[in-house]
Amino acid sequence: MKRIFIDPAKCDGCKNCTLACMESHRQDGGKGLYTLDLTDPANQSRNFIVADGKGGYAPVFCRHCDVPDCAGACMSGALQKNMENGLVEYDKEKCAACYMCVMSCRYGVPAISPDRKRIIKCDFCAHLEEGPACVRACPKQAIEVREV
Amino acid sequence: MERFVIIGAGAAGISAAQVLRDVRPKDTITVISTDEKVHSRCMLHKYLGHERDAQGINFVDADFFEKHDITHIACQTVDKIDTEGKMVCYGEYSAPYDKLLIATGAGFFIPPIPHFREAPNVFGFRDLSDALKIDEAFARGKRVFIVGSGLVGLDAASALCERGADVTIAEMAPRVMPLQTDEYAASVYQKAFEEHGCKFLLGIGASDAVVDGDGNITEVILSNGDHVPCDFIIMAAGVRPRIQIALDSGIAAERAIQVDDHLRTSAPDVYAAGDCTGLSGVWPDAMAQGKAAAWNMAGVEEVYEKPYPFKNTSNFFGVTMLSAGRLDLTEGADVLVHKTAGEYKKAVITDGKLTGYLSLGDISNEGLYLYLIRTGTDLSGKTDKIFRLTFADFYGINEKNGEFAYQV
Repeated sequence: MKRIFIDPAKCDGCKNCTLACMESHRQDGGKGLYTLDLTDPANQSRNFIVADGKGGYAPVFCRHCDVPDCAGACMSGALQKNMENGLVEYDKEKCAACYMCVMSCRYGVPAISPDRKRIIKCDFCAHLEEGPACVRACPKQAIEVREV
Repeated sequence: MERFVIIGAGAAGISAAQVLRDVRPKDTITVISTDEKVHSRCMLHKYLGHERDAQGINFVDADFFEKHDITHIACQTVDKIDTEGKMVCYGEYSAPYDKLLIATGAGFFIPPIPHFREAPNVFGFRDLSDALKIDEAFARGKRVFIVGSGLVGLDAASALCERGADVTIAEMAPRVMPLQTDEYAASVYQKAFEEHGCKFLLGIGASDAVVDGDGNITEVILSNGDHVPCDFIIMAAGVRPRIQIALDSGIAAERAIQVDDHLRTSAPDVYAAGDCTGLSGVWPDAMAQGKAAAWNMAGVEEVYEKPYPFKNTSNFFGVTMLSAGRLDLTEGADVLVHKTAGEYKKAVITDGKLTGYLSLGDISNEGLYLYLIRTGTDLSGKTDKIFRLTFADFYGINEKNGEFAYQV
């Protein structure tokens, strides 16, 4: 079971993780940050960083919780906790876009898609062999994949 | 080896079966359901709208029962529980249990309006069998009269509007979805439905009906005396916990089956979970109750904390809404509103705590508002940015497992 561990003390708010997430999940077929449309809601990031107002930063990433509020609220079976790899996996074909998961995640992580037909949530970059793009993009090692 | 029996294959019953199998790999688990197929009640409109087939609204894998070695006895209704002999009886059969879960859910309610309870063309919209009946009726006539504009009524209306029905909805309250909306949010939904051909009769009820020789209702007579012709009627004016089985078996129940904080009923080794307990009527709570009951049935003590039932989301014609807490209780409260193009948010703050929250439009990342309401988190010093709160405002990390933890 893997989880992206966060060390907020190391984060300097550069948002490279956010850009990497957007780039990793872009659907327009393009490659590279220079062609990534940062204003297109379809490219929105699954993670976000908030300045805490005291000079520090709070990186908010899906925890793939041990007891996930989101999957516990899902009435279509689209969100399921995979007990083998620990991930809360999302099947967009099953999703009914009821948004019970958005309401139920106490940390406010899931977002809704611009077409209102699915959700936007961390998938641990399942399509990338090398693992989550955000982790590789962090220049401060503030986020890292660890076994839990 | 223990024998676990579950009555009902809805959210509570199925989640209980899953947990029991996880904890007790070798014991016998039997699910008895009136429903033929497992389906998500909250997705019935997808079926009625012909967007998905029956398997498409199944919330577990098609081979759920085989995969988990659970016996599913479908199309059977349990009539009685012999709580002394520890046996459930259905039709001419019976099944012994060591631990039993009642997860019979809730059924639609037909108010005592003349002809409504007897007419063959009055349907509920709770189970797949209801959707099938509506589908058949729709093949014969497209004029639909829906009683009630809550989520169930609007679900049915949205599905039938998409199929070109002539839909009229009567709502006793002065606005649509009265439990979840305020006036503005209701007006946005009303407009969206009207643009799809739906007609609303607000602040008005059905009081009588004209029937044909077969007893079918051909016209609904409203409380103002108007007549509305229709081909069939869908009742969406509330539900009642299904408690008959408890009443017939000497298990304590009034409006709902009574349970303690371990979801135990008054009968030994008999538990209840989901809508039949009357604790809450929303999917996530039924799931949580099913799981908690299962842990207790398996002998792992789990205290079930009372759920916070005032919460819902909706998504009709791309209009999305999150509603949490009590928007109606505003005495002595500060009501803050934020309105921009395509977005509307409202917060009710009472004594420094969030007590109600409504968001229409982009509801992304707003789950924390429900948490803040249900935990009564003190928001002193944060209310000036109430619509911009994120978890960063309560940021904390559990060092051991890397999960988040609220710091307040």
